[in-house]
Amino acid sequence: MTTLFRRLVATAVATSLLAATLPLHAQTAADSGLIRTEQLLPPAAPQGLQGDQARLMATLDRADLAQRLQERGVSIDELRARVAALTDAEAAELMARIDEAPAGSDVLGLLFTVFIILLVTDILGFTKVFPFTRSVR
Amino acid sequence: MTSRRGLLRGGLGVATLGLGGCATWADPPQTQALAAAWPAGVPPRVELREVPFVPQTPLHCGPASLAMALGHVGIAVDADELGRQVFLPARGGTLQLELLAGARRQGALATRVPGRLAALVQELAAGHAVVVFLNLGLALNPVWHYAVLVGHDRDGREFVLRSGPVERDLFRWRTFELTWARGGHWAVVVLPPGRLPVSASEDEAVLAAVGFERAAPPAAARRAYEAVLARWPGSLTARLGLGNTQHAAGNLPGAAQAFEQAARQHDSAAAWNNLARVRAALGEAEAAREAARRAVARATLAEPQWLAPARATLAAVGG
Repeated sequence: MTTLFRRLVATAVATSLLAATLPLHAQTAADSGLIRTEQLLPPAAPQGLQGDQARLMATLDRADLAQRLQERGVSIDELRARVAALTDAEAAELMARIDEAPAGSDVLGLLFTVFIILLVTDILGFTKVFPFTRSVR
Repeated sequence: MTSRRGLLRGGLGVATLGLGGCATWADPPQTQALAAAWPAGVPPRVELREVPFVPQTPLHCGPASLAMALGHVGIAVDADELGRQVFLPARGGTLQLELLAGARRQGALATRVPGRLAALVQELAAGHAVVVFLNLGLALNPVWHYAVLVGHDRDGREFVLRSGPVERDLFRWRTFELTWARGGHWAVVVLPPGRLPVSASEDEAVLAAVGFERAAPPAAARRAYEAVLARWPGSLTARLGLGNTQHAAGNLPGAAQAFEQAARQHDSAAAWNNLARVRAALGEAEAAREAARRAVARATLAEPQWLAPARATLAAVGG
């Protein structure tokens, strides 16, 4: 129950943050009845979801995504701009894979055994973890 | 140090004798292909020395790589500021989609280029640095990493990368290919609107422009679509984008012209729909009804996904 409540509150906060998420011109386009460019991209909206319905779903998705980003340490000031810069399809993909998609970083925190294995594979030229290695071939 | 390395190499040399017949020791396929057939028009040696070097702070290879690529096309940006825009703290890194979005927010398009070594050297020859995504470790113990490819050397079979703390990190072709393949052959070229990577496909160029439209001012997004249309005049999506960005900029006659061209060229219900709306806004009531009827007809015939908006448009323009 508490979890549900917290989720509702968080979603409400995120939704209000995102009320102005769409770029101004995209909102203008929606109001004017124009079909947005990204609506032409495959995959199109799921069957049965068109126009306003699809747009509403996309908005809710973005609110959810903003909440997930916030839970993962993104500052509130950044949420809106980060979510707004994604297309609907990208936002959906990011939401689905936010914890699995590879995150590029660097070589910190390797275990010692792994260190040795990677040192050898580095020298063989299969990997390139360490800047000081140079492969034998 | 030298002697220890020599010892290691000696030991490995013995080990490799045992591996002699092993298939994994052969060069990976693209390295073989590049050695066998060098792409036409690409010089044997290229190094884009003018690409600025931004050494990464811990975990921040994504923002650092993006800052280098942006700096190379004249967009000076602080790597810490970029970090706030693309770094995902709980994951301890930067996701690829957010890197693309980060480029857009700085006024540039990040376009995927084909996952082929030949495409990478073609981009270098065109003066484009390439942001690549590598798994420097193994599939079981991935070490995900962004770096910027700035040079290649055909005779030495090496690539030059700005990578992490190293300004000129030399990768053998085969090592680069193996680590790049484990990163999914992901590579993007970051350019201001109006310029395109030489090797990008139409689909990827369109995707980059559409993503850019979300984050960019209409005038800049329009330049992105114009560049796509200059190379692929038959792109319906880019043509529609040209109209939408002009509409967003308040240029209704320009929007009408783009939508009309898209509608006539592709008989697209979406283009007829948008043409009807813009003609109505311009006060051309009869022409608007005609376009709206074409939108409904086309949607009924072949593009059911636009039937609801097309009917709404027809009703709105008094058809």
